[in-house]
Amino acid sequence: MKNGTLNNNGGVAWFLCDLLDQPVVEREGGSLGRLVDLIADVRDHDPPVTGLVISGPRRSRLYLPWNWVEDLRPGLIRVRSGARDSLSPLELPNGGTFLRKALLDKQIVDTAGAKVVRVNDLQLRQRNGALVLARVDVGLRGLLRRVGLHRIILPTLKWLFGYTLADSLITWRLVQPVGSADILRLKFSQARLSRLHPADLADILADLDRPERDRVFRALDIDTAAEVLEESDPKVQVQLIEQLPAEKASDVLEQMSPSAATDLLQELEEPHAQSLLKEMEPEAAEDVRCLLSHDEETAGGIMTTSFFSQPPHVTVAQTLEAVRKEASDLDVIYYIYVEDQDGHLLGAVNLRELLTSDPNASLESIMERRIVSVSLDAGQADVADLFAKYGLRAIPVIDEDSRIHGVIRFKALLDVVAPHLGR
Amino acid sequence: MPANPPLHPPSCPVPAETPALRTSWWRRLSLILAVVGPGIITSNVDNDAGGITTYSLAGAEFGLRLLWSMLPITGVLILIQEMSARMGAASGKGLAALIREHFGAAVTFYLMIGIVLTNLANTVAEFAGIAAAMELFHIDRHLSVPLAAILVWFIVVKGSYKAVEKVFLGACLFYVAYIITGFLIKPDWPLVTRELLTPRLDFSAPALIMVVGLVGTTIAPWMQFYLQAAVVDKGLTAEDYRIVRWDVILGSVTVSVIAIFIILVCAATLHAHGIRINSAKEAAMALAPLAGRYAAGLFAFGLLNASLFAASILPLSTAYTVCEAFGWESSVDCKFDEAPQFYTLYSLMIIFGAGLVMIPGAPLIPIMYLSQVLNGLVLPIILFFMLRLINDRSVMGGMVNGRLSNVLTLGAAFILSGLSILTVFMAMW
Repeated sequence: MKNGTLNNNGGVAWFLCDLLDQPVVEREGGSLGRLVDLIADVRDHDPPVTGLVISGPRRSRLYLPWNWVEDLRPGLIRVRSGARDSLSPLELPNGGTFLRKALLDKQIVDTAGAKVVRVNDLQLRQRNGALVLARVDVGLRGLLRRVGLHRIILPTLKWLFGYTLADSLITWRLVQPVGSADILRLKFSQARLSRLHPADLADILADLDRPERDRVFRALDIDTAAEVLEESDPKVQVQLIEQLPAEKASDVLEQMSPSAATDLLQELEEPHAQSLLKEMEPEAAEDVRCLLSHDEETAGGIMTTSFFSQPPHVTVAQTLEAVRKEASDLDVIYYIYVEDQDGHLLGAVNLRELLTSDPNASLESIMERRIVSVSLDAGQADVADLFAKYGLRAIPVIDEDSRIHGVIRFKALLDVVAPHLGR
Repeated sequence: MPANPPLHPPSCPVPAETPALRTSWWRRLSLILAVVGPGIITSNVDNDAGGITTYSLAGAEFGLRLLWSMLPITGVLILIQEMSARMGAASGKGLAALIREHFGAAVTFYLMIGIVLTNLANTVAEFAGIAAAMELFHIDRHLSVPLAAILVWFIVVKGSYKAVEKVFLGACLFYVAYIITGFLIKPDWPLVTRELLTPRLDFSAPALIMVVGLVGTTIAPWMQFYLQAAVVDKGLTAEDYRIVRWDVILGSVTVSVIAIFIILVCAATLHAHGIRINSAKEAAMALAPLAGRYAAGLFAFGLLNASLFAASILPLSTAYTVCEAFGWESSVDCKFDEAPQFYTLYSLMIIFGAGLVMIPGAPLIPIMYLSQVLNGLVLPIILFFMLRLINDRSVMGGMVNGRLSNVLTLGAAFILSGLSILTVFMAMW
């Protein structure tokens, strides 16, 4: 690596570890100390190196701005004469991040592969006199180079098996550092995190160590946080919600579907769950309290109360209008349930029928009266059988008087069944 | 959800004012099991094949003379385990991750090689324990060891490890039987107490080697990684630390009490009759005429359970530790392609562990002995890293080590290194 590699942009690229711990030499002046770290400004898409951290007397750390650097490559770090007088006590400039202290050997999120990896090395590229952070090395080859075994193992692999161990480098723009809350608040971080699917984000959070995980979760907006929580394992859910301030935690719970919020609250210790319930908006809390009263293992325990129902005399046009308004807050929109004033389930209309029917027709006239429903205390296995038999997307849950209490989504059933599949 | 009364009548069957977070019987049970924490599990795995063998040998060969050493060993065990648990609770990270982040890739790499080799030697010892225990039930090792290897592999990869862990842990309750046996053989209690409380410094080679064996089997390097990982995995934080500490102390004391009783039983029976043994298996066979078939059966069963439990945890813990250090995906919930390094390491540990035991004429006793010396050699190195980390405020916040704890740990690390190096020299001499 001593001669650097030409990368596709024509600039010369170095690895951070080939630069660290080398003497920083002043032109006509001798050594200033050893290079301990580099500081780069991560607010830029291609973060430029803005300063050097140099070892000073008695284990102190000194800072030298980048504009003093004359030449910097493996084997030679030279600064202009007079640099010695510009050394200042180390202070991290605004938007700056330590490449070694904050990134090297730490966890980082590969947003393209949606996984967590550890940084083995950082690749820096020269561009118009500046040195920019270009790529992150996460591969075995980089690890062997760090250990110093690449000179033995790589030729051996080549000789024995004709195998060349390729470098595994990820472009800086596709990774998300998670070492500091400040960086996570920056615009580029928010953009990179928002590109990830909540389910992937949930997996990533599970793979991160606790401090990093908490930091990333706190950086998410309420909506994303709610979606991510819904996709997370119960154990991770509990840890994530417990470290949030009660106010934000209750906001996140309100944004979750009532059934998911209920499941989460059941995992928490009783006093904590109660205090979160008190913090929540009354309507959302009402839904959750209602669901809490059912056993987890029964239909009542896996149903959601966030469904859509209408009185029988309402017209198709009115219903469509109402669906338009409320759809974003509902768990189930494919079926519109028709109920009388006392909540008795009369029938159901699916969205396709609604869209193809005469706008002036009443729901009563087009609804399906033969409804497959399940009782509140039915077991999960019974529910699964019904889904399998009738091929429905959702099944209403009724009590002895056939009043509708909630709806079981196919997705909720999948959550119940999935653990028993395969392994 | 916006209120829209005419469109969406709320339909709750119970009075909304009295919400009750219902707990089903299963939840209640799991809450009780949750009290059995990382410290107790780690300690019970610690009573593994090597442990039971070493304790038996110590009692048979030296009678009660080495009994006193269990007290300082317990002290050091509590000291070190408490540090591991505190580091897990304060940092939220595993030991391997902390070492990687603070000491760099090269140091971590060579340390991991040491850990893998040490743990492999320990795993071989566990499979040797399985072979010995099953031979007591007249099952040939060429049948029992491969079966155990496959069982262990499947339990973790295809089954629910957490459930299995509880079964093993439940089986550990049978170790109470060691204590009962200890009472049934009616030892001379005043003498036992006196021996326990009077340190006898014996610098003869066999005694020193035995003491190193006792230390090496009771305080093993893998335990620090496993315990810290378990604390992190449980999501225990600084607030839970009080309970965590009691869990660790309780676990360490449990392991020592059982060890003391194993030494006691072997001392009062085998040593008193001048019977020489070379393994836990021989201890079990020799016990039958002296303490009854029940005691012998207990030894055999205890050895089997301990070996199986440790054989299923050691390879897993090794794979997790290494993957954590290098940032590789590690989860038994992943498919092979998603976590190739994890599964390869895990499988190799089992294949080599079980395979070495199967080699005809494999020197099982020296292997078991070697694993303990390796433990003794690697442990001070781990302690050095732990001390550096646990005094770092950027890792521990306000939970850094106190001065007393530092001095004691440093002292223990020096004594342990000295003892280990001494034994290696004596063995070579």
